[in-house]
Amino acid sequence: MNTRLLLLPLFVAFVWPANPRIARAQVSYDQLVQAGHQPENWLTYSGDYAGHRFSELKQIDVNNVARLAPAWVFQTQVAGKFETTPLAINGVVYFTGPDDHGYAVDARTGRAVWRYERRLPARLPACCGHVNRGFAALNDKLFMATLDAHVVALDMKTGNVVWDVEAADYKVGHTFTLAPLVVKDKVIVGVSGGEYGIRGFIDAYDAETGKRAWRFYTIPGAHEPGNETWAGDSWTRGGAPAWVTGSFDPPLNLIYWGTGNPAPSDDTSERAGDNLYSNSLVALDADTGKLKWHFQFTPADQNDWDATEVPVLLDLKIDGAVRKVLAQANRNGFFYLLDRTNGKFLLAKPYAKITWAKEIGADGRPRLLPVSGTMKDGMVVCPGAAGATNWMSPSFSPQTGLLYVATREQCDLFTAAPQPFHPGHPYIGSVYFKPAEEKPWGAMRALDPLTGKIQWEFKYVSAPWAGALSTAGGVVFSGDMEGYVIAFDAVTGKDLWHFQTGSPIYTSPMSFALDGKQYVVIASGGALFAFALPD
Amino acid sequence: MKMLMIAASLAMALGASPTANAQDVKDPLAGDPNAIVEGASQFRTDCALCHGLRARGGSRGPDLTRGIWNHGGSDADLFHTITTGIPGTLMPANDLSDGETWEIIAYLRSLTPSTPQKVPGDPGAGEKLFRGDGNCWLCHMVNGKGGRVGPDLSRVGSRRSPEFLAQKLRDPNKNLAPTLMDPGKEWPYDSEAVTVITRDGKTIRGVLRNEDTFSIQLMDTQEDLHSFMKKDLRDVVHEGKSIMPPFGDVLDDRQLQDVVAYLDSLRGGTAEEKK
Repeated sequence: MNTRLLLLPLFVAFVWPANPRIARAQVSYDQLVQAGHQPENWLTYSGDYAGHRFSELKQIDVNNVARLAPAWVFQTQVAGKFETTPLAINGVVYFTGPDDHGYAVDARTGRAVWRYERRLPARLPACCGHVNRGFAALNDKLFMATLDAHVVALDMKTGNVVWDVEAADYKVGHTFTLAPLVVKDKVIVGVSGGEYGIRGFIDAYDAETGKRAWRFYTIPGAHEPGNETWAGDSWTRGGAPAWVTGSFDPPLNLIYWGTGNPAPSDDTSERAGDNLYSNSLVALDADTGKLKWHFQFTPADQNDWDATEVPVLLDLKIDGAVRKVLAQANRNGFFYLLDRTNGKFLLAKPYAKITWAKEIGADGRPRLLPVSGTMKDGMVVCPGAAGATNWMSPSFSPQTGLLYVATREQCDLFTAAPQPFHPGHPYIGSVYFKPAEEKPWGAMRALDPLTGKIQWEFKYVSAPWAGALSTAGGVVFSGDMEGYVIAFDAVTGKDLWHFQTGSPIYTSPMSFALDGKQYVVIASGGALFAFALPD
Repeated sequence: MKMLMIAASLAMALGASPTANAQDVKDPLAGDPNAIVEGASQFRTDCALCHGLRARGGSRGPDLTRGIWNHGGSDADLFHTITTGIPGTLMPANDLSDGETWEIIAYLRSLTPSTPQKVPGDPGAGEKLFRGDGNCWLCHMVNGKGGRVGPDLSRVGSRRSPEFLAQKLRDPNKNLAPTLMDPGKEWPYDSEAVTVITRDGKTIRGVLRNEDTFSIQLMDTQEDLHSFMKKDLRDVVHEGKSIMPPFGDVLDDRQLQDVVAYLDSLRGGTAEEKK
């Protein structure tokens, strides 16, 4: 009481009389629209709204990348998979880490200027680690979607919480792991929990207040079109999560988002039907969240092939006319091109070993191949459950016209059995094993998006979990499970440089510049590594 | 563990039914057909990756269908093992409710014979072969004595079924690298033989200890470690098979049975642990 009496006059004296300084808006929506052309900063998860993960910086190029060296390393001292893509805004690098920690570090030295630590519940149903893939930014705020299914706004200058809203109940298996996507004045997030029998959704929150603006359920409700693709009440626990950041086309005003597996992922016995909109790409009106179109890649899935891979928006010349297309290297092993104005299927070509389908028909549906074995006793299918690629980002270089995809050559022995459903408990319908005969491997592959043809590949000894960044210096950066950050020639695939980080790499690189120096940044183990050319 | 005890005594103090910490506690769900179905489902998601789909043992966890329990076989022992794990082994503590744990135990009991299966063969004779004519010890360590090229077998009996061991002896290349782990974690190559040829034509054969995109490390049969940058090598030949020779032709059926019986008796740990 005494303290308060003493402090109050001070407070009034120094703060109450008009404080003329209003925090400067650091990231405007207009900047986000132009993010791909502001290479000094990295303003959104994929570097731009089109999902290109391309940097226009060219200080580091094919001729000098061999001299690349660590500029600084930031140790989080938090164990777990470090899947973040940092944002770089006016000399500060902002990133999240395992267990929903957040950091702002000086881009020049890697020294922290603030930290955010979220206290998470002890029992947290999260399938695949306490991971988080990054912040989104608008004005003077950062946005984070948390493992306990909250959406949080932090003050960019201090890391203080501005608002914190509960999106869903974590106790029954809703979690967030993705970096949100800011579109206009809204923060878009998609839920994780396909292993817990949730009903997936994509949400939009008002960036100022945290008030929910809309929700799109990725599984249609009773009497809505598409609900008939689920047997009985299986739709109520049908999964279809939306756990990777989507893309946005401002002129079309459409948000493109991938959805995940139907639940239980391996056992189809109680969910007969196509199971819309699982394993689909949904195009949503950015203002209302209303569905404009959908395309389902893997109907009636029993192999856990989420279609959550980052959608890449391209304007490609096809048959003499520039078409607005959407490209996705899908987890099911096919590379797809869709017309992004209407969802029309244009092309699908295999980019990895596929044993389950002969081809994708003109109707966009897979033509299945007979696979020996049964789901009850075991069935070897390629690609495996983790897919021919996964959430790690692809990268598109407008210089080479190639799409770079971290590719997994890995098969699984799938087994399935009916599983009783209990909210908050794994609802998978069984497990997968690595078949003894097939040693997994992987590659960085460069695809021609016009044809799906593989232009080059660089082989890894195991199936990777690191995505790609391409740059105007003609370099593609990625990493492997053995801990190497690797630089490739974007045209030929020749490895130009590598650095051993000491841990498998589970994320995609980004780049920014400060004081005329280009940095390439990637997380590995518990550390964030920033590389630059020596002075 | 401490938390569990506190929770247990608290539950008792509040008049709830006693939980599994008392030694004489029995599985309240024993023999319940619904519990066995639920337990099977729980087992598939939580246990099968290590112990195998049908609990017959996997690359990391022992066969649980033989009625042989290395860390105590009473209901209370199993409850304790599942909930708190076994320090010093790969068995982790599991965050399951009491009911879920009892369901798993009910399921496991439904798989196991009422009396433990005895492995045929003479372990004493098997040990003589292991240390003598079989030359197994040249590559395999048991309780601190033996070679380093192959896996340490000090507790192989608790990890592998007799059928698996017999098959491995006859044909070591069956189930080569049936690993479930991320690369770089543990035994990703299961004694795969590799030959490297240097640019000046030198050949070195050994067991793969690490391989990554740019380098390779192997141990030769003299237990010397070699490291190479791949760019300095003319070739790397993955033989696609274990460096261990097949023993089906070397040992007769009786001798094989004796070696399996010996390996089955290797359960590591101290007498205290085995109680």
